[in-house]
Amino acid sequence: MKKGTLIRAIAAALALVAAPASADAHLINTTLGDFYGGVLHPLSGPEDVVPWFALAVLASIQDSRNARWLLFVFPISLVGGALLSVVAPALSISPAWNLAVIVVTGLAVAAAAKLPFPVFVGLGTLIALLHGYHNGQAMTQDTDRLLFICGVAAVGYVFVTLITALAISFLQGGMEWRLIALRASGSWVAAVGVIMIGLQLRTSAM
Amino acid sequence: MIGAARNVFAGVPALLLTLLAFLGSHFNSAGTASAHEASMAVMTLREMAPGRYFTQWTMPPTEQSYHPIFPEHCVWNAPDLNCGEKGLVGQLSFTGLGSKQSAAMIRVIAKEGPVHAYTVSAANPVVTLARDPGHDLNAWLDLASTYINLGIDHILRGIDHLLFVLGLIWLVRGPWMLVRTITAFTIAHSLSLAAATFGWVGVPEQPLNAAIALSIVFLGVEIVKLQRGQIGLTARYPWFVAFMFGLLHGLGFATALTTIGIPSAVLPMALLFFNVGVEIGQLLFVLLVLALMWAHRTTQSMLPQWAAALPAYAIGSVASFWFLSRI
Repeated sequence: MKKGTLIRAIAAALALVAAPASADAHLINTTLGDFYGGVLHPLSGPEDVVPWFALAVLASIQDSRNARWLLFVFPISLVGGALLSVVAPALSISPAWNLAVIVVTGLAVAAAAKLPFPVFVGLGTLIALLHGYHNGQAMTQDTDRLLFICGVAAVGYVFVTLITALAISFLQGGMEWRLIALRASGSWVAAVGVIMIGLQLRTSAM
Repeated sequence: MIGAARNVFAGVPALLLTLLAFLGSHFNSAGTASAHEASMAVMTLREMAPGRYFTQWTMPPTEQSYHPIFPEHCVWNAPDLNCGEKGLVGQLSFTGLGSKQSAAMIRVIAKEGPVHAYTVSAANPVVTLARDPGHDLNAWLDLASTYINLGIDHILRGIDHLLFVLGLIWLVRGPWMLVRTITAFTIAHSLSLAAATFGWVGVPEQPLNAAIALSIVFLGVEIVKLQRGQIGLTARYPWFVAFMFGLLHGLGFATALTTIGIPSAVLPMALLFFNVGVEIGQLLFVLLVLALMWAHRTTQSMLPQWAAALPAYAIGSVASFWFLSRI
């Protein structure tokens, strides 16, 4: 930029700024509240966080292709599940599905199972669809659905990505106890799932 | 670590970028019409007699269900509020905050003495009313908590600002340069935020909004240039560009404070706390992006080469859309 042009540009900018007027900008008036509502909703209880954790740890045990695809498929399937809750809100999905998935994923981690690509990605997709649907059901008439669903997908993506990377990084130490520690966490997840199934059965019986 | 940020980033938070861009276009279409709505509902309480107040919405809430919950000993038969001999002290909260409006303010105009303002937000749902916040530690803590939360709230809702910060992280090479760039941006927007809040400078809304959008378009172009092997102004002097555009973004931040009518007595501290909140929010966002970059490197998940320029074009397209809709 030539010196003269620069001086003129600065002078014009100063002239614009020198006349006080209301400084009124930034998208504060948007309803991003529902985006953060979507972000926080899955984090408000263990039923989402526990299987996501197990799935991410399971991804760290698989080969890198499986982990990569999970990071791509998981948030998209969450969106798919949440959209399904909008289109078909009355689907009767038994809570037993969610609980069974927790147990299965936990056991897979405990066994350090190396799953075939379609099975692993299918498991990730199933979990995300179930949880997307479950979280989508929390939306009300007043909820901005787009923002809420984006929030759910965003938190799912961030959570699974970070936990997978942390677990991979943890395993890269090479010592055998590290894998044992991860497998132990899987058995805890499975135990949590079994306890939740027990509670569910007890509630249904009462 | 961040030295390779450009390469890593080309494949990394593509989802984040796409999400921000997508949300951005949604906000713009949803938010244009309401661009002049108050960011807070404001109720003024004018003391008519000791302990008795006349209440009035000076900035009405967007939802009819919003209403204040006064201390238990106060009786509110709108517009009259009677707090008896005890006076207007105790805890104040609001119903319905957080869905459409995130904050509400009560301005108390005493028969004698200064005007006091109390802000209640979804993040800080209860404040303690005191006769003289100037000498009450709890009142000052309430003020700090309220405005820090408001600052965090404001930055996390400012999708255009977050998109600009994301663009900066993408362009910058090396951890120290990133620190310098973010610091320059912080200093700049703090300066202009203060100047605008105190009324020393001001820019009409439309050109300011458009210029903020244009700053993001500029970054999008710079990113594409960098991917083509051309070293642009931002890649060469990111801190300078961050500083110059930071001045613009700071003027935008001022909206949150200038629209709620904070009494001049607490304005400097409110501004300080608000800015602290903005910085906390910005730091959280930067750390999140860096963590995601690290995670994608660790999991070896990158965008394919053919899609590397996609996020830059997404940024540029959304920002161009904002620019055109704001002029």
